[in-house]
Amino acid sequence: MPRVIGNKIRKTGLFSYLIAFSLILVACTARNRIEGYIYYRLNSNPTTLDPALVNDVQGGTISAKLFNGLVRLDRNLMVVPDIAERWETGERGASYLFHLRRGVKFANGLEVTARDVKFSFMRILDPRGKSANSWVLDKIAGAKEFIRGEATDVAGITVIDRHTIEIRLERPFSPFLYLLTMTAAYVVPEEEVRKLGPDFGTHPVGTGPFAVKRWDHNSELVLERNDRYFEGPAQVKGIVYRVIPEDLTAVTEFEIGNLDVLTIPAYEYSRYRTSSRWSNLVASAKGLNTYYLGFNCARPPFNNFKLREAVACAIDKGKILRTFYDGRGRLAEGPVPDLLRKWEVGAPRRYDPERAKRILKEEDKVTRPIQFYVTSDPEVVDIAEIIQSYLRKVGLDVKITQLEWSAYKAALNRGDEDMFWISWWADYPDPENFLFPLFHSSNHGAGGNRTWYTNNEVDRLIEEGQAAGDAEERDRCYGRAENIIVRDIPWVSFWHRTDFTIRQPYVKKYRIYPIYTIDKGTEISF
Amino acid sequence: MNCYIAKKVALLVPLLFGITFITFALTNALPGDPVYNLVGERSTPEIISKVRKEIGADKGIARRYVGYVSLLLTGEMGRSYFTNRRVLDDIVAKFPNTLMLALGAMVIAVPPGMLLGLIAALKKGRFADRVISAFSISLLSVPVFWSGLLLMLLFGLVLKLLPPSGTGGLRYMLLPAITLSLPALGTIARVTRVSVLDVVDMPFIRTARAKGIASSRIKAVHILKNALIPVVTVIGLDFASYLNGAVLTETIFGWDGIGRFTMEGIIKRDYPVIMGCIIVGTTLFVLSNLVVDILYYYIDPRVRIRGTDR
Repeated sequence: MPRVIGNKIRKTGLFSYLIAFSLILVACTARNRIEGYIYYRLNSNPTTLDPALVNDVQGGTISAKLFNGLVRLDRNLMVVPDIAERWETGERGASYLFHLRRGVKFANGLEVTARDVKFSFMRILDPRGKSANSWVLDKIAGAKEFIRGEATDVAGITVIDRHTIEIRLERPFSPFLYLLTMTAAYVVPEEEVRKLGPDFGTHPVGTGPFAVKRWDHNSELVLERNDRYFEGPAQVKGIVYRVIPEDLTAVTEFEIGNLDVLTIPAYEYSRYRTSSRWSNLVASAKGLNTYYLGFNCARPPFNNFKLREAVACAIDKGKILRTFYDGRGRLAEGPVPDLLRKWEVGAPRRYDPERAKRILKEEDKVTRPIQFYVTSDPEVVDIAEIIQSYLRKVGLDVKITQLEWSAYKAALNRGDEDMFWISWWADYPDPENFLFPLFHSSNHGAGGNRTWYTNNEVDRLIEEGQAAGDAEERDRCYGRAENIIVRDIPWVSFWHRTDFTIRQPYVKKYRIYPIYTIDKGTEISF
Repeated sequence: MNCYIAKKVALLVPLLFGITFITFALTNALPGDPVYNLVGERSTPEIISKVRKEIGADKGIARRYVGYVSLLLTGEMGRSYFTNRRVLDDIVAKFPNTLMLALGAMVIAVPPGMLLGLIAALKKGRFADRVISAFSISLLSVPVFWSGLLLMLLFGLVLKLLPPSGTGGLRYMLLPAITLSLPALGTIARVTRVSVLDVVDMPFIRTARAKGIASSRIKAVHILKNALIPVVTVIGLDFASYLNGAVLTETIFGWDGIGRFTMEGIIKRDYPVIMGCIIVGTTLFVLSNLVVDILYYYIDPRVRIRGTDR
C-alpha cells in the first residue's frame, strides 16, 4: 500500500499503467503464421479423427487428408483407385477382388497389407466397438451375423495374400464401391490401433498425404506434409486448422490474412459477391444435399395426403430462396439433387395459395395447432417462422417447437411432431443415398425415414435399383421411385444448397468439392 | 485461524458430494440424449443400443451415479463420450488458459476500478463523480459479445495490432482479458465509491483528521483500507466466476478455456465432461470464496476479534 496517494501518485500511477499497456500493444502484431502452411477455419474442435468413429463433416474432411480407402472419388464423382490399384467385379456385382498397391506405407513406416484392410472393416462391424457406422459395410456377406455377435469372423472378407483381398456381398448392391469411398472404410494400421486404444482418435496414424503434427484441442490442429505419400507429396508444407467458433471472428481473421480459405457465412455472402476486391475470389460448388419440410405421415393430420398437398401449395419456396436465402441454392424438384438426377420429375406442386385454401375448405378442419419441430439454429428458426406465416395465410395454425439437436432427433425418431425442417447431405454421390435411407419403409425413424413414409411400390423400386447391375436399369427404377415420392408428398423438397468459399489472392489451384472426402489437400498451393 | 480454514475445507467434501448428486440428476433430466449425437444420421435401433451400451447409458441412473462416484474416488473423471479423451487431462490442459485470462482481466480491472471509485467518492457530487459514475455504469451495461467484437474489429482488423482470436501468450490474451475486465471494472468502481462514501463519514476518520494526520495518509490507509471489504468480495466473486470460464468471451476470441469446453459438453450432452467441469468449477468457486474469507481476516480486525472470542 503506498503511503501517499495524492494527486501526484494518482496521476503517475494511472500514467504508468497506461504506458505499460500501450507498450504491450505496440510490441504486438495481428499476423501469425507458419510459412508454407495453408490456413483453414473449423467451427468447432473435431471430436475424433478415428475413421471408425467420425460422423461429422469436419472430422471427415480432416480424416480424408490423413487416411486412404481402397477406392476414392475423383472430382467428377467417379470411383477411382486409391490404396487398391485395381479391382475385378464378379457375380454380377456381388463380389470384388481388390489388388493393393505395393509399398503404400502408414506414417509409422509399416506397409499396408490386406490384413490391415480386413482389420479396419471388422472394426467398423465389431459389436463391442463404439462405431455407429456399421451400416456402411453391413452389405458384406456374414456382416450381419458378426454384428449380432453370432459369428466370430465376417465370412465375406477373405485375405487372399498380402496384397489381395476379396469382398463378397450378401447380394448385388450397386452403390457398394461408393460406400468404400466413405470415411468409415478408410484403412487403419492394426498395430497402432491396438497399441493406442481409445487414443487413436487423437493420435491417428494413416497413409494420407498429411499426418497430425500437433493438436491443441479447441484451438489449432496442425497437419504436416507426408513426403512419402504414394501419389507424391502435397504442394503445401502443411495445413493448419484453426478452431474459430464465431463467424465474425473468422471473417476478421480472413481479412487480415490469418486464414487462406473461408466458407462464407450466410450474412457475408452478398458483401463478398459484390465486393470488387473479393468477388473474383469466391468459389462455389453445387452441394449434394436437399433441404426439406417433412410431414409425419403416420398420424393425423398429415396422414391425409390432401393436407400435405395444401401445405406444399401454400409456401412460395422460390421466393424464400431468392430473398431470405439470397439465392444460395437451387430450387428442388424432388429429393434427389439435380446433379445426380438423370430423369424428369413430373408435376411437383407449385405455389398456389388459392388451391391450398380450397383443399383446406374441402377437408376436415384441423382442430389443433400443427406441431412444427425445428432445431435451435437461428437460420432454421427464421425459415420456420416464414413457413409459419405462409401457412397462417391459408388458415393453418402452426406452433413452432425449437429443440437442441439430440433432443430434436430423439423427438423425430419417436414421431412426436406433425411437421419438421431438416436437410440431408450425401454420404456418396448416388441417388440411392437420397432414396433408400429416406423413403424405404425399413428405415423408419432413426434410419433416416423420419416421415414414416410407407409405399411398397417405392420399396420395391429402390431395392431393384440397388440390385441392378446396369446403369440404365438403375436410373429407371430410381426415377420411377422418385416420381411416386414427389406425387405422394411425404416431404416438400425446398432447395439444394450451394456452398461458397472465399480465398486469398495468393492461393492457387483451390477447388471446392460437393463431397468432402474428394479433397486430399495435395493440389492447393501458393 | 487454522481451525477456521480447516472447517471451511472440511465443508467442501459434503458440498462436493451434494453437487455431484444435483448435477448428475439435472444433466440426466435434460431433454436430449448423447447417443443421438453419437450415432449420426443413419442408424438402426441395433446401432443405437450398441452405442448406448458402450457408453454405459443403458444402466439405471442410480447405478450410473454410484459408478461415477466410485470413479471420482479413484481420482478419475472418465472419458468424453465424443472425443474419447480423459476429461481430467482436458480440464488440466485448459485450466491454465482460464486462470491466465481471469488473472489478466483482474489485473486490468482492479487498479483502475478502485482508483476511479476512490476519485468518484472523494469528488462526490462534482463533475468527476458524474463522469465516472456514467462511465462505470456504461461499462457494466455493455454486453461482452458487443464490446468484444468492437475491440476485435478495432485492434485486429483496423489497427492490426492484436490477433483477433486464438489461444497463446500475452498478445492473444489481451483482447479477451480487456473484454472480460470491462464489466468488472465498472462494478469495482461502483462498489469502491459506495464503500468509500460509507467510511468517509465514520467517527474514526473525524478522529484521525482531528489528530492532524495528513489528508493523503487518511485517504490511503484509513479510508481505502476500511473500504476494502466489499470490494474484495466483489473481486473474489468475479474472479471465481471467471475461473469457471467466460463462455461468450472465450467463444468470440476462440480462447481455449473451461467455459467453452463446458458449453460444448452441455450442447452435446457429454455427461462426463459436464460433470467434470462442474465439480472442478464448484471446488474453485468455494476455494476462491475461502481465500476471500481469509483476506477478510487480515483486512478487518473485527473478523479477527470475533474469531478469537469464539
